[in-house]
Amino acid sequence: MEKVNDNQLKSIPEETAENGVTRRQIIKTGAAAGAVALMGGFPNISSAQNKTLNIVRGTYFIPGAQEIAKQQAAEFGKQAGVKVNADFLNWTDLNTKIGAGIQAGGIDVIELWPVQNHLYANNLVDMTDEAEEVAARGGGFEEYVLNSGLVNGRYLGIPHGNNAGTIAYRISAFEKAGVKHADKGGMDMTWDEYFAVAKECKKMGMPFGQSLGHSLGDPIGFCYPYMWASGALEVGDDGKTILFNTPTFEYALNKFVQAWKDGYDETGTSWDDSSNNRAYLSGKISSTFNGASIYYASKRRDDGGELMNDTHHMLMPKGTAGRYHEFGTQTMGILNNSKNIDVAKEYLKWWFQPENFDKWWRIQEGYQLHHVKNLADDPMWQDDPKMGIFKEIPKYGRLRGFAGNPNEKASLAASKYIVVDTFAKAVQSGDAKDALEWGERQLKRIYR
Amino acid sequence: MNSGSIQSENFLDRESSLGVLLMLPGLILLLVFLAYPFFLGIWLSLTDTRIGMPGEFIGLWNYTDLLEDDIFHQTAWNTMIYAVVTVPFKALMGLGLALILNNKIRFSNPIRAFVMLPWIVPTALSSLGWFMIFDPVFSPISWLMIEMGLIESNVNFLGDQILAVTAICWVNIWRGIPFFGISILAGLQAVPPELHEQAAIDGANKFQRFVNVTLPQIKGILMITSLLSIIWTFADFQLIYVLTKGGPANQTHIFGTYAYQIGLFGTEIGMAAAITLYMFPILAFFSIFLLRYMRKTA
Repeated sequence: MEKVNDNQLKSIPEETAENGVTRRQIIKTGAAAGAVALMGGFPNISSAQNKTLNIVRGTYFIPGAQEIAKQQAAEFGKQAGVKVNADFLNWTDLNTKIGAGIQAGGIDVIELWPVQNHLYANNLVDMTDEAEEVAARGGGFEEYVLNSGLVNGRYLGIPHGNNAGTIAYRISAFEKAGVKHADKGGMDMTWDEYFAVAKECKKMGMPFGQSLGHSLGDPIGFCYPYMWASGALEVGDDGKTILFNTPTFEYALNKFVQAWKDGYDETGTSWDDSSNNRAYLSGKISSTFNGASIYYASKRRDDGGELMNDTHHMLMPKGTAGRYHEFGTQTMGILNNSKNIDVAKEYLKWWFQPENFDKWWRIQEGYQLHHVKNLADDPMWQDDPKMGIFKEIPKYGRLRGFAGNPNEKASLAASKYIVVDTFAKAVQSGDAKDALEWGERQLKRIYR
Repeated sequence: MNSGSIQSENFLDRESSLGVLLMLPGLILLLVFLAYPFFLGIWLSLTDTRIGMPGEFIGLWNYTDLLEDDIFHQTAWNTMIYAVVTVPFKALMGLGLALILNNKIRFSNPIRAFVMLPWIVPTALSSLGWFMIFDPVFSPISWLMIEMGLIESNVNFLGDQILAVTAICWVNIWRGIPFFGISILAGLQAVPPELHEQAAIDGANKFQRFVNVTLPQIKGILMITSLLSIIWTFADFQLIYVLTKGGPANQTHIFGTYAYQIGLFGTEIGMAAAITLYMFPILAFFSIFLLRYMRKTA
């Protein structure tokens, strides 16, 4: 193999290809991959014996992905000669584990939710070089990854995409409610139109379902986009001015309160992230905001494909201020108090090799959106046209705390469920104005 | 035998030194697992520490700031309701249970063991069971009531303020009855039968014997179990975290769950420490009262 030295690299003009990847990055990546292949191991792991790598990841709604991740961790351990522990925790419990890991140690590699790379920025290892290597190999990161994965211009972990949520619905119920082309999916609806369908569906005994309980996934994934689409923000771009209690949002929230009575299963105030899955799969509701796990589960049901054939997806409806999804990338990070940073880095570099990563990614059949551009054209996407809409979601993605930064204040607001509880209070009391005033007071306390 | 071993024998023979030695492991455990976290908690509550970020001393700011926090007000109120409502019910129903178990019945020992189950089963596990019973979509109670034609749609057990508070109080009562029951049963069995016989000879009926003989004899146990139960109820966490995580709209938050949310999700562990330490004066009051009472009765 021809060796490329640094001077040669520097002499190559920093020409950027269409996909945003520089020629220099491609050569660097090729050289690094070649070096690992030639040496046949993990040269950067010093005295691997007796080392234990502790990996903590979120549990997966797609069981096969978790199984593969577990097998791959074991495989890496075998190849690198280190002991590997891989734990898969409820996503809700991940914060607790990260907090304990930062304070007391014991975690090396950690899977992070979109804003957690910002929240724990002081406690994560800078992995810009490794992330750029992955980007170069994959034709560059997708734009949403560039927007949400960077913290002050650095990658504090390697982005690996995210499981996107959108609206899943029963085709038959929507058709009965008068929606045209429901079988084609991807309808371009407004919230008003969506609520009108909810009303019809509830009359048929199949209301819509939405969690407004204290759960970090679906309630936030629904309420934030509705707020943004109604022309409100938690905070302005100065990170201080609260733009929450606006007349347009009050008007929209009143509509939601009415829609809740007319078209939703009203027990949603106590639902968690799994309640809507169970309700949909058992035929109790006809539409909900969720990841692709509902559809994935319907494909594996022993019902002759009835539910799978009757399920489709559409983007979040539009409001007066546009269409939005709460979306950013997840990252695989390393805690900077780890005693095994060298092993952890090698593990992540190894796991992000296409032969490993793509296997894990493909089994999810689109549930986990790709992080690099090359995977946008992966044959996997051709397998099931009903999953195609998920690729559109990042275009409408915003992070918590928008238009400010997704910093600790945005995380505190999310962890106190201020936006979600504003919705819950509004539907419980029927008084959107009062609920908004409460939410505004709380946000002012956080962003002061 | 050399002089060293004689000295060590004398040391172990002396009651005072042996006592200190035997107490040492317990003392170390208390220092490491109680005193250290307690003083660390006090220090953290006086700082603006976040997870992974060293904080600075800010005096009582966290405490004063909480006084202006709507959610904290609601949390304090919820905690009060939770303790005030549940403890009397647990005491009354525990007393009833003890009176039943104190009778001579067949299989009394297995029955006594069986009624302890709610207390013995780990709370996280039993709460999960209740979570399924109160499930908004698949609750067997809702199903039964719909089948019987009593209601048309599912009961929103954990999503309506009054029902959610009632549900968590009910689970807390269910879990706490055996503790009261078995403790009071021990007290009942220690009541000398002669007192009852004498009262019966004097013409007292069952109710009069219960009020004038039994109750005075078990007053101490009732007091101690009630005080312990108040302390444990104030400091509860698992049951509410499993059932509602403080929702809907913070209507079931108590000090423990709110502190957990602020500290571990919001990363503000200084503020979270202040929330939990607001419990301290209340718990200290009941603890001191309890200790003084126990010493007096001893």
